[in-house]
Amino acid sequence: MSRNAISRLGDNPSDDICPVCKSNRYLNPSLQFLINPECYHKMCSTCVDRIFTSGPASCPVPRCGKTLRKRGFHKAFFADLKIEREVDVRKRVGAVFNRRQDEFETLLDWNNYLEEVEGLVFDIVEGDAKTRAQAEEKLKAYKEANSGEIEMNTRLGLEEGELEKRREKAEREAARQRRLAALKEEEEEKADLLKNRKEVLDRLATEDGDANAIAMQAQKVILKKSSARRNLADTQMETNKSAMDSGLTIRGLKKKEAPVVEKPYDPFGGVDLTPSRYVLQESYDSEWLGNAKRDMRHMAGGYSLQEYYARTMFEAFSGLGVFIEDEVADRGQPAPPAVGTTPAVGAIASGEEPQSKPKPQYKMESDDVF
Amino acid sequence: MKFNIGDLPVLFPYPRIYPEQYAYMCDLKKTLDAGGHCVLEMPSGTGKTVSLLSLIVAYQQYYPEHRKLIYCSRTMSEIEKALAELKALMKYREEQLGYKEDFRGLGLTSRKNLCLHPSVKREKSGAVVDARCRSLTAGFVKEKKARGEDVPVCIYHDNLDLLEPHNLIPNGVWTLDGIMRYGEEHKQCPYFTSRRMMSFCNVIIYSYHYLLDPKIAERVSKELSKDCIVVFDEAHNIDNVCIEALSTDITEDSLRKATRGAQNLERKIAEMKDSDADKLKTEYAKLVEGLRDADEAREEDAFMSNPALPDDLLKEAVPGNIRRAEHFVAFLKRFVEYLKTRMKVRQVISETPPSFLAHLKEYTFIEKKPLRFCAERLTSLVRTLELTNIEDYQPLQEVATFATLVATYEKGFLLILEPYESDTAEVPNPVLHFTCLDAAIAIKPVFDRFSSVIITSGTISPLEMYPKMLGFTTVVQESYSMTLARRSFLPMIVTRGSDQVAISSGFQVRNEPSVVRNYGNLLTEFSKLTPDGMVVFFPSYLYMESIISMWQGMGILDEVWKYKLILVETPDAQETSVALETYRTACCNGRGAILLCVARGKVSEGIDFDHQYGRTVLCIGVPFQYTESRILKARLEFLRETYRIRENDFLSFDAMRHAAQCLGRVLRGKDDYGIMVLADRRFLKKRNQLPKWINQALLDSEVNLSTDMAVGSAKKFLKGMAQPFKPRDQEGISTWSIRDLENFKEKQEEESIRQLREAQTAGAGVVDQHMEGVRNGNEETVTRGDEYGFDDDELEASMMELDGH
Repeated sequence: MSRNAISRLGDNPSDDICPVCKSNRYLNPSLQFLINPECYHKMCSTCVDRIFTSGPASCPVPRCGKTLRKRGFHKAFFADLKIEREVDVRKRVGAVFNRRQDEFETLLDWNNYLEEVEGLVFDIVEGDAKTRAQAEEKLKAYKEANSGEIEMNTRLGLEEGELEKRREKAEREAARQRRLAALKEEEEEKADLLKNRKEVLDRLATEDGDANAIAMQAQKVILKKSSARRNLADTQMETNKSAMDSGLTIRGLKKKEAPVVEKPYDPFGGVDLTPSRYVLQESYDSEWLGNAKRDMRHMAGGYSLQEYYARTMFEAFSGLGVFIEDEVADRGQPAPPAVGTTPAVGAIASGEEPQSKPKPQYKMESDDVF
Repeated sequence: MKFNIGDLPVLFPYPRIYPEQYAYMCDLKKTLDAGGHCVLEMPSGTGKTVSLLSLIVAYQQYYPEHRKLIYCSRTMSEIEKALAELKALMKYREEQLGYKEDFRGLGLTSRKNLCLHPSVKREKSGAVVDARCRSLTAGFVKEKKARGEDVPVCIYHDNLDLLEPHNLIPNGVWTLDGIMRYGEEHKQCPYFTSRRMMSFCNVIIYSYHYLLDPKIAERVSKELSKDCIVVFDEAHNIDNVCIEALSTDITEDSLRKATRGAQNLERKIAEMKDSDADKLKTEYAKLVEGLRDADEAREEDAFMSNPALPDDLLKEAVPGNIRRAEHFVAFLKRFVEYLKTRMKVRQVISETPPSFLAHLKEYTFIEKKPLRFCAERLTSLVRTLELTNIEDYQPLQEVATFATLVATYEKGFLLILEPYESDTAEVPNPVLHFTCLDAAIAIKPVFDRFSSVIITSGTISPLEMYPKMLGFTTVVQESYSMTLARRSFLPMIVTRGSDQVAISSGFQVRNEPSVVRNYGNLLTEFSKLTPDGMVVFFPSYLYMESIISMWQGMGILDEVWKYKLILVETPDAQETSVALETYRTACCNGRGAILLCVARGKVSEGIDFDHQYGRTVLCIGVPFQYTESRILKARLEFLRETYRIRENDFLSFDAMRHAAQCLGRVLRGKDDYGIMVLADRRFLKKRNQLPKWINQALLDSEVNLSTDMAVGSAKKFLKGMAQPFKPRDQEGISTWSIRDLENFKEKQEEESIRQLREAQTAGAGVVDQHMEGVRNGNEETVTRGDEYGFDDDELEASMMELDGH
């Protein structure tokens, strides 16, 4: 263990020795390091007090010389100060470039935007003086150009965060409630059990009768009770759940689609097959069907005349009202094999029906359904 | 022997079959026909594997779909055993059918076990073998070679490319040894042979992890078709396997290594920019399109994979701010640095992924979305950079996996930061546990993808717990009892010592001298009467150590020493294997020995104590988990909230499955015999949670014994076992020949015909009346049963009253 600590010390000596006054953690266990986001040089809190109490002074680190104020010092969140700086830059840039994904038309645009912002941050963090200046310039220009939108997005972001927080809090509260309820339930159950046992003992003592029967009886009561309680708990759980759902709809403001209700399976993909041009009758008179109608042997095998009627009628009408021209036009591409028949069919069709209702005819377009 | 189940002809490679094997096969077939999942519990040592294989192979060969079998087991030795069984089965089938079937069965295990490369195979650690193998076989290595560069390659792997890709190995069943030998002869890599042939074989046998661990499953098991039959054998621990597959622990050390890895990456990127900037550009262009396209080159040599990413996400493009390599590395560094800062906290923190993400965003401006892509993006980068020394990046990969998981799942996970190893430790050694609480997450893809999943084990009671925890529904759920011609094992529950003091390993009393002495007496008594080997299980190492030292002080060990050699299991695997070796020697030469081990240790699972190796198993105390663990607490709470499984129910279920597992160690077949002693007061109430086959053999007179009573019945039992017993005596009862089986089937048929006929003769109206009559009869019996004249209503009323109080 101790060796571990030593190696940690060895890894990063600056973690325990102040680079300015060279006091170390051994002498001063409460050593605390502060940084100033002007130059990110680290020094201990004593040094900060010593140097900057009497007003702004220049950074004591050699070859830095930036003027710092005591107010600007704070504790670093990250051990790696480069990251600390990067995060500060990000904070600044993020406050300006705060567009949201739903403002963009496509994902690609959004990603390009993200990359651009990332590039800008990189320029500021890693670039030399010139690129940095350029990037800062860009940032400033953008800020001035889009101040209205920036403000709105900031507000939206804040609101979202608020919502998130509230939701989390509600959830935690609900969990706590549930835990309490579970505890209570358990206790109740235990108390019940005890009470029952006592009752059984009482009864065994006072009543005369078969002891086994009394015990059995009690057992039954307990079982029944516990199952009843469980059922109750389950239903409660259900209601809880629904209640929770209603609470969660706040979060649904963002994006949450209700699951599409599953429709019954439609084998024809929405094509309506009820005949529109004829009415199917109970029976048709036809002499050559007479035999089949009367003969038991046909019917016994499951032969259905109705089926036959339906199919024959369908076949008879199936070609009508199909406007190939229209379809071809709709599709916007020529259909060479149909060319020969098109005029004829079109002529018949147009003679029968007004051209203005081509929609329902699609019904007939489907192949033989049987 | 050959028989039919329904219309399916089954060839069973032994002349006799156990009744429970037949029942098991019938239920399996039912499941396969219905196309659903099932949970089956069959006593250990009754030939589970062979009945499973012979039924499923018969099913495969008989029906035209030829559904593939994926058989998952837990350890190497079990995989070997299953392969050997399969080989024998196929040989038998060939003899019976008179021709060789078009059949291929393969096993798959890690590179370490299958490597033939002269220098790589000498490596000790599996991770090193993997890494070195990848550096020799990766796609870009081959490209380099083709370009004429001088790079080391693996000849065994490259030889595979000369063969037809769908016919790397002839038909037949290949045991792991067999495939190694074949590979050596033909100079081809057994590991890649197995892996590439996976889509062309009828039976695959491998470890759970290849299917459950999403990091591996994605690569290995992706091409398996939907109608495969998946079997999880020895599945009583499957929920823990699932959870481990998705949990990660991050330490300060691994973070340091991850930082170093990120720095290396940065350097490599800079190098590549100077030398080969085009490559980075093409990668970039691909990433703009989307991950799927970037992945088309994904092959078996991809060194890591994303953990359980939903498919729709993979189709999306990588977020813009991690598209460029240098941006991504900076992103990773920032994330690692953030984790380091979090680790500095000196109090225990447990938080949910959403709150972690919120905090992360506040301090580092890392959004959720790029975090989700972390693992995938890192894989792509590593491939582009053509890195070979991949083991250096393992910690970074771990962090990336963690990032992806934490951003993907809101529910079912928890982050727990423990700054100190134990409550008393002074020096901080922080560990960030990212633990999965929901076993259903890892196994869900398996249930979704495959139509038949069979979960089976010797001890998987209570059966309904597993569907509940793993989130699936079963078609068949069955526990089989053991048919025995004589009572060949004696389960007992000892609740008191000879002095009538209750014994228990409960927290309050576990260190009381009276309890410890009573346990010691129990041990001494049984060591006196047990022939050969005896195995003792303790709930934990800690308890074992303390109780052993107390026994030493009481002189109990000296007493035991007179009768048996004493050996102890330790957490060290090497030491334990030496102890086991010695134990076996002592058992074989007649001296006999006692092995003291831990119910959750290595010995309790997977090591069999058959015949003389184990005549008594003594379970001291209920093997509960360490309930103070924060991870366990979190899981218990999750189970209660999500699945409505109560804490105590789960803990007791978990303890009892381990106890049952321990008990099952000594009985490995029908010709075996042994005594099973459960020594704790609390076992009395948990009796119903034992597997059916143990519970049935547990007589009511033997559930509440004191030490001397237990010794008495054990002596009697052993005397009975010493009587000559011919295999012939079992016939027709616990083993069936083909004639017995036919008789049984005939009887069954007659029964069903009789029932049908009855139903037919009684017309619809009559049936109704009949039902009515039955119902009335029931009511009558109920009222008659209530001697106190309680009617059902009255009972209800009395209950209401009680509730009202």
